[in-house]
Amino acid sequence: MLYDIRLRLHYDYERSAAGGRHHVRVMPQTLPGIQRVVASSLSFEPSPAERSEFKDFFSNIVTAIVYRNPHETLDIGMTARVNVSRPPMMLDVSPDLAGLRREIRSLWAVDAEAPHHFLTSGIHAEITPEITAYAGTSIRAGRTIIETVADLNRRIHADFAYDGGATNVRTTAGEAFRLRAGVCQDFAHVMIAGLRGLGIPAGYVSGFLRTIPAPGKERLEGADAMHAWVRAWCGRETGWLEFDPTNDMMAGNDHIIVGHGRDYADVSPIVGVLKTSGAQEGKQSVDVVPLELAG
Amino acid sequence: MMMQPEKAQSLSSLLAGYRPLPATSDEMIDHDGNVRPGWEQLLSALDGIGPEKLATRFARASQYLLDAGVFYRIYDETGTQERQWPLAHIPILINENDWSLITSGLTQRADLLEAMVADIYGEARLVRDGVLPPDLIAHSPEFLHPLAGVAPASGHFLQFCAFELGRAPDGQWWVLGDRTQAPSGAGFALENRVATTRALSDIASSMNVHRLAGFFRHFRDSLQALIRDPQGRAAILTPGPNNETYFEHAYIARYLGFMLLEGEDLTVSNGRVMVRTVSGLKPVDVLWRRLDAAYVDPLELKPDSWIGTPGMVGALRRKSVSMVNALGSGILETRALLAFLPAVSRALQGRELELPSIATWWCGQEAEREQVIDRIDRMMVGPALSTRLPFEDTEATQLGASLNPAAKAGLVERLRQDGRSLVGQEAVKLSTTPVYVDGRLEPRPFVLRVFAARHKGGWSFMPGGFARVGTSEDTAAIAMQRGGQAADVWVTSSTPVEQNTLLPREDAGFRRNVPGTLPSRAAENLMWMGRYIERAEGTARMLRACHARYAETPNRELPLLAEMRDYLEPLGIDLDEAVPMGLQRSIDGAVLSAGRIRDRFSSDGWLALHDLSKTVRRFAGVVTPGDDATRAMTIILRKLVGFSGLVHENMYRFTGWRFLEIGRRLERGIQMANILSRLGRHDAAEGSLDMLLEIGDSVMTHRRQYSVYSGRISVLDLLALDPLNPRSIMFQVDALKTEFGLLPRPDGSAGMLPFSKDVLRLHTELAVAEAGELTPEALRGIGHDIADLSNTISATYLA
Repeated sequence: MLYDIRLRLHYDYERSAAGGRHHVRVMPQTLPGIQRVVASSLSFEPSPAERSEFKDFFSNIVTAIVYRNPHETLDIGMTARVNVSRPPMMLDVSPDLAGLRREIRSLWAVDAEAPHHFLTSGIHAEITPEITAYAGTSIRAGRTIIETVADLNRRIHADFAYDGGATNVRTTAGEAFRLRAGVCQDFAHVMIAGLRGLGIPAGYVSGFLRTIPAPGKERLEGADAMHAWVRAWCGRETGWLEFDPTNDMMAGNDHIIVGHGRDYADVSPIVGVLKTSGAQEGKQSVDVVPLELAG
Repeated sequence: MMMQPEKAQSLSSLLAGYRPLPATSDEMIDHDGNVRPGWEQLLSALDGIGPEKLATRFARASQYLLDAGVFYRIYDETGTQERQWPLAHIPILINENDWSLITSGLTQRADLLEAMVADIYGEARLVRDGVLPPDLIAHSPEFLHPLAGVAPASGHFLQFCAFELGRAPDGQWWVLGDRTQAPSGAGFALENRVATTRALSDIASSMNVHRLAGFFRHFRDSLQALIRDPQGRAAILTPGPNNETYFEHAYIARYLGFMLLEGEDLTVSNGRVMVRTVSGLKPVDVLWRRLDAAYVDPLELKPDSWIGTPGMVGALRRKSVSMVNALGSGILETRALLAFLPAVSRALQGRELELPSIATWWCGQEAEREQVIDRIDRMMVGPALSTRLPFEDTEATQLGASLNPAAKAGLVERLRQDGRSLVGQEAVKLSTTPVYVDGRLEPRPFVLRVFAARHKGGWSFMPGGFARVGTSEDTAAIAMQRGGQAADVWVTSSTPVEQNTLLPREDAGFRRNVPGTLPSRAAENLMWMGRYIERAEGTARMLRACHARYAETPNRELPLLAEMRDYLEPLGIDLDEAVPMGLQRSIDGAVLSAGRIRDRFSSDGWLALHDLSKTVRRFAGVVTPGDDATRAMTIILRKLVGFSGLVHENMYRFTGWRFLEIGRRLERGIQMANILSRLGRHDAAEGSLDMLLEIGDSVMTHRRQYSVYSGRISVLDLLALDPLNPRSIMFQVDALKTEFGLLPRPDGSAGMLPFSKDVLRLHTELAVAEAGELTPEALRGIGHDIADLSNTISATYLA
């Protein structure tokens, strides 16, 4: 599936920011077997005094920008054409939980894909006894890891209310769990914390989701937002699989990946240090436009 | 039990009753009860001094540390406080043979640690080859993901390490822990040495004790060799005055002649680390950091760090700066890694460790876990990823032998359930060394800290200097935070040793170093210290004048006093308090500013300031208004003047002094303009003019120059316009004009600087003014103009 993606991030500073330094993670990248980036561009207004790019530990593309002059607003625009083509789901050859633990122990690796990075508590994805107990109900004798993860994915979708007003970007898994509500980021954090509590390696995926308008309705311009889902390590044979608890589905050709990390803190679209005494307000708009006739 | 040795008894009365602990090695007495070589000499020398003189000498050593302001900070439930450095006065002796075994073993170990950390952040072959379990890397909070794949600019991760050593009952030295994050203690070691030799200088020189200064000279040279840019510099990066070892950071900075910087002093510009100075941004090539890596860059590491420099990791990625030690090196301190060092040594160097580590088992492995469980009574069990020594980490570390059966069963259960997060270590009986308690010697466990610095392709070791000694027989009482003591360590030679100091040899030629550029933060603190000191002095003068009058007429409603009460109230000074909070606050402000620039301060100056602060606090509770307060203010003024004199006479007249002076002059000018606008009015209360002369310390001058009676015009002339009166506004503006002219020009500035223009305008205005024209409004305007100068200076240099 071929998409044109447009992202706009807009920040208003209550008091003029004297300067700032940011890391921006919004660019999709080519991931063999999942997606290919045909073209992409990233622009900033005002124009930064310095701009450079590097890949972080998890191979995400990071654009570093520096401002030295006062500014009241910051606009970030990203456009990309991405071709997504995921392989069909294969036969479930994943082990059970005990088997998974044995496989992790026999795996001697610490590269960015190694499951070991994705097992401990994080700033947002904090492991709590409550979440672990909740996730534990998904374990059944004879269930494979894929079945277990899919079950938790389904339960979170069923038990949690999608409510944009309940949480914010700093909400932790524990808080969202108590509320049984939140947005995609919270659903993902709860699921990650639950899986890790059980000893199943789990990571955070940020990206875009094609939204299909209701029948007979026009697609609304800029109405979408960035999306987040979960990936879980399902054994050596299967590797990482992506689950979307917000929509009770596995990530498919409608999911376009921007970044991987342990939780939101590793892949937030913008992190930065700003010289300002006032508050700031941000807006984001996203368009994911499928190109019906690819090529 | 051991017999009291005959020989030793004749040797020293100090030894009376000295008995090594059972099944423990002692540094002074060997297993057969004989005094070890070297110690005989020390003991007989101590004995020769005699008990009274010895006590005096040790008191002198403690006094030295107090005078030098050596402190460390402790944290407890009441917050943080400064504690005097706790010196155990008897040095620990180590002979050259032992020492060369130690340094040879540690050289191998330091090289091994370097190769290991390079692998962890590089190829990770140790993990792939099954030598290091991936959990210990990936789960460690000390593994800094953003630094993976970032090779250090200098080619080395480690430049400066410390090792904690203990001696086992069989006499073998063991490494208890490796210190690679930001080891502290090397500066304290210097002070241990100075203090100890102050008491025992005659003994030290006859015993051929190795000197410490050469080590620092080597390390300073090594750091300077890492500078690549001819404009670049090396500096020490400190977390700031609230850190427990800030004293040492300031001390080493002064000793080595490096800038002492905090994260906010630095900025990253086009990938280069720059220090903000009063002369603009200057490049920094080498940072010897004394703060934990996670705090260095809020952008890529700990996001809530307030003491870091955003962009620092980016600069490291570009290899534009050498960080000593490299960020991420702290992972080598992980307790569980000790279990794997022998295997790592075989894998990377094809050798066994010369110096063993304390026996350690990571309980994430089944066989090892069972071994720990089988021998639980001889084990300390603690967090696998802890970077603290087991005996410093007593809340988290459990001693198997000390647990009741239920607790022991609980621990075994934890080991079975969660072995991966636990590590077992053999409970060691550390060897003991004598400490001096009430005229006698008693055995106490100790840990030796050995410092190593990279030098010319190898490692240079500080020969002794630092050990931590327990306050009781309990090994757990060694940690400084729990009341342990520090002791000097003497590495003794059989032949005379070379004399070393940081001062160049006399024949080495002579070069006058141009003082380094002044960091903006230091300039700001100096200026504010000047302002606070002057504010305190002005306040004390006004208070003294008021209380003297109050003492004469105990009528608080005297119009002049009412006037002063109104004047002082908005300044936060309550005339009904004999020693008002406002005065204390000014002095606290000065102490705080001075505390942030300890590296630029002589210990005499610091002590004088502290004494002042203590005096004011002591007075605050007891002094009563009137005569008592008048006398108290006279004492405070005398101390203030003493401090100012110390600064005036002793501080090197460069940019730093200039900012201090500017602060003083600004404050004095503002205060004089304001008080004149009040008491110099036509309709001011009776006695106002005499009071002005008193506050302005100009009674005598006025009498000599004018007449016995204070006339309004003559007082205004003397206190506002007379360029020869050091209290007049004109005098301050004159001084400011001179100092401003000598300040460095900020980069890229052209023409006359804004504050130079402003001060010239004000100077001219005062030069042509007549005393009769100085209305209260005009005087208030002058006060505002001077305050504006302060703001312009801040905006130019200190932003």
